[in-house]
Amino acid sequence: MTLLKVNDLKVHFPIRGGILNRKIDAIRAVDGVNFEIRQGETYGLVGESGSGKTTTGKAVMGLNNITDGEIYFENELLNKGSKVNIRRDIQMIFQDPYSSLNPRKRVFDIIAEPIRNYEKLSKQEEKRRVQELLSQVGLSPESILKYPHEFSGGQRQRIGVARAIALKPKLIIMDEPVSALDVSVQAQVLNFMQELQEELNLTYLFISHDLGVVKHMCDRIGIMYNGRYVEEGTKEEIFNDPQHIYTKRLVAAIPDIDPKRRQDNFKFREQVKDEFTNSYNDYFDEDGLAYQLKPITDTHRVALPERG
Amino acid sequence: MSQKQTQGDIEKAVKEQQEEKQEQKSPSGFRIFWREILKDKLALVSLIFFVLITVVVFGASEILDKAEVTRVDPFNIYQPPSDEFLLGTDQGGRDIFGQLMIGTRNSLAIGFLVTLLSGIIGVVFGVVSGYFGGHIDNALMRVVDFFMVLPFIMLVIVFVAIVPKYSIWTFSLIMTAFLWMGIARLIRSKALQEKELDYAQASRTLGSSHTKIIFKQVLPNITSLIVVTMTLNLAANIGIESGLSFLGFGFPKDTPSLGTLLSYTTNPITLEERWWIWLPAAVLILLLMLSVRNVGEALKRAADARQRRA
Amino acid sequence: MWKFTVRRLLITTPQIILLSAIVFILAKMMPGDALTGLIDPTLSQERIAEMREKLGLNNPWYIQYRDWLAGVVQGDFGQSFKYQMPVTELIWQRVINTFWLSLVSTIMIYAIGLPLGIVSGRYNDRLIDQLITGYTYLGFATPVFIFGLVALWIFGFMLGWFPTGGSVEPGLEPGTFEYILSKLHHLLLPSLSIALIGTVGTVQYLRSEIIDTKQRDFIITARAKGAPERRVYNRHIFRNSILPIAAFFGYEIINLINGSIFIEQIFSYPGMGNLFIESIMLRDYSVVTALVLLSGILAILGALLSDIILSVVDPRIRIK
Repeated sequence: MTLLKVNDLKVHFPIRGGILNRKIDAIRAVDGVNFEIRQGETYGLVGESGSGKTTTGKAVMGLNNITDGEIYFENELLNKGSKVNIRRDIQMIFQDPYSSLNPRKRVFDIIAEPIRNYEKLSKQEEKRRVQELLSQVGLSPESILKYPHEFSGGQRQRIGVARAIALKPKLIIMDEPVSALDVSVQAQVLNFMQELQEELNLTYLFISHDLGVVKHMCDRIGIMYNGRYVEEGTKEEIFNDPQHIYTKRLVAAIPDIDPKRRQDNFKFREQVKDEFTNSYNDYFDEDGLAYQLKPITDTHRVALPERG
Repeated sequence: MSQKQTQGDIEKAVKEQQEEKQEQKSPSGFRIFWREILKDKLALVSLIFFVLITVVVFGASEILDKAEVTRVDPFNIYQPPSDEFLLGTDQGGRDIFGQLMIGTRNSLAIGFLVTLLSGIIGVVFGVVSGYFGGHIDNALMRVVDFFMVLPFIMLVIVFVAIVPKYSIWTFSLIMTAFLWMGIARLIRSKALQEKELDYAQASRTLGSSHTKIIFKQVLPNITSLIVVTMTLNLAANIGIESGLSFLGFGFPKDTPSLGTLLSYTTNPITLEERWWIWLPAAVLILLLMLSVRNVGEALKRAADARQRRA
Repeated sequence: MWKFTVRRLLITTPQIILLSAIVFILAKMMPGDALTGLIDPTLSQERIAEMREKLGLNNPWYIQYRDWLAGVVQGDFGQSFKYQMPVTELIWQRVINTFWLSLVSTIMIYAIGLPLGIVSGRYNDRLIDQLITGYTYLGFATPVFIFGLVALWIFGFMLGWFPTGGSVEPGLEPGTFEYILSKLHHLLLPSLSIALIGTVGTVQYLRSEIIDTKQRDFIITARAKGAPERRVYNRHIFRNSILPIAAFFGYEIINLINGSIFIEQIFSYPGMGNLFIESIMLRDYSVVTALVLLSGILAILGALLSDIILSVVDPRIRIK
């Protein structure tokens, strides 16, 4: 069942200039993106910084006005023109666990914020809910009166998760949720989120630049470049059978810990790099943008020019 | 021996842990502020001085009979300080000490009032401007720019001169109308930084309205700046009020303020020979402004230090 | 840079129009006739009504506003009722006096502020810096009128070093050496009062700017290259710190105007500020209106000047 459907999404930011500060051009942060997320899966959105993946996530969340396109959630249109409604069914986990928690608020107030916005609970019930949520994310319920700066990065991210699941959402958008954390904590947090997904029957939109993490987490993956999709497919298709030269290069760049294969890997990477430079014009148009997506299989779509 | 030491260490650690358990509630922001003030000796002395003066003048003004103080007594004109008149008398034979008490109270009261009013307007203006940004910010900041370049003393004097039913309230409103821009600018630039932080965006995703985010999320992060600025403004406003009263465009004629006592120096003989009339008021204004500033500067240092730690 | 200037000018025009509108509205609120100064507010009702009709004061407001503005643009601010002379003529002499006062004050502000700021910044946290910082701390908390009052009391009355009022000794021939000397003598104490209080901002700014610049990488590089300390300061640090200060001059105009109101009043110095207070007391509102408008325009132009200079000096400063 399709939970989220994004149809030809465009987010352009105006560039102002001239004496009267009029709009003279636009940055096409997201430029015609289509994808669907099914109930219960983890959908990965991958790309380098500036590729528009975070903007896409924020647009779905309703934090950015959109320029064009439609966003459907459970077959219901979310946007009226450029304004996207904020829904309690969709929640977000932010990249930076330090700035995403208000430093002047106690943990209790931080986690209770969404509950206060949508539900009328007595002080007592509210406190019990917050304590439940805290133990659900593996933090001590006694710490509700502490401030965020008294926690480590991983713990803070768990507070962020507790806040996001407080309203029992259906979709959680995770914007690089572990990239600000120590590597040692990353896996811990990721595994915990997978457990949570099982437990609460959640759907994830997982935004990341880290293919290793994406491989670990995601069922299906979309690759973005310069505001457009270059390839979309299941995890196996993307990692074992990449079609687009950009995807090939990304996959080739994943580090391998086996030292014996260092030479081979190095050669392989060089080879892909050459292919990338040589055939760049076959895969991108005059402006360096990706072409329209063409289906190869039922699940696999690649941006290739008409002539094939 | 080493074993003993280890055991001691463990005991200590356990004890610490227990203490920590009991101390789950962390100190709030204002507590930290208070602690910093106590540490700063000069600020503490200033604070005590200021509170003392405030209590004394408000208390004395309750006891003193205003009619008695402002009653003209032709037999006691220009008396130097004596047992009867602690600080002498003025050209109407009125007791300077009594006028000083009531005058200081009036100056302080209007200082507080104007600081509060201009603070509220400035904070709301600044936080709205900074939070929404874009066109709203642009428009609001042009308004601030305009008010900033107005010849403020002149305009206040003109208003004071032409407002029909002139009272302490209208005076405060006139002053406020030209004193809210500084704080608005400061708050705006801080709000601009704050709203870029993820917590403000997170609040949106959690269903909080803009009003809620501004007042419940962003504002608490700006309170230290607000407190510091308002304290420093209080010092400045006491000075501005006494200056206007000195020129004769401050308090209504029948209400003395510190500036009123200074305005007696328009008579050069008073300035030259009857120091008891104006000098105490001048010294008191200076001390009040200085002590409030000291407190403000200490708060500022505290806020900066806290920011560095966070 | 030119783009910024044009944009900045575009903001200035509505500012001046708005100012003139505010002054116009205030003038209409004043009793009598503040714009032309031809009606005595103490006359009988019928007489005033008659005069109003004759002077076109019963015209719709926009026609009055237009007529008034047309006059102002040509330098016609109407008639001073008390002095029975054109406002422009009356103001002119006072403006010149205030100009001299402001000029001497400004020179003193920089003459005091620059060396103190530089010394304080260069030798920060030494004894000399602590003394200077103590001075700025006190200076910030002292209102200029109290300082002026005390200065007049001590140096004018008690010690008798300076004259206690006026702008020049009466009876001297204008243009003679004695005349100029006497003028300067009269100017010294008032402008020193303005300067000693007005300069603390400059000192503090310069101090923190120098301390800040001292730790920048390019200074460390200059030192590492072996440049002598004097050269480091003269060539690198001061040049970086002093330029913005020069640009602040325009913003200072508003402070000079505010300060001169108090100082001229205290020292009975016949300048604009003194005339302003006098006219308000005498209800000579056509003069008041002219002075407010003039000061406002000066302040607006000052801010414009500063903004443009700053944008040249420091390209980071741009309004959106």
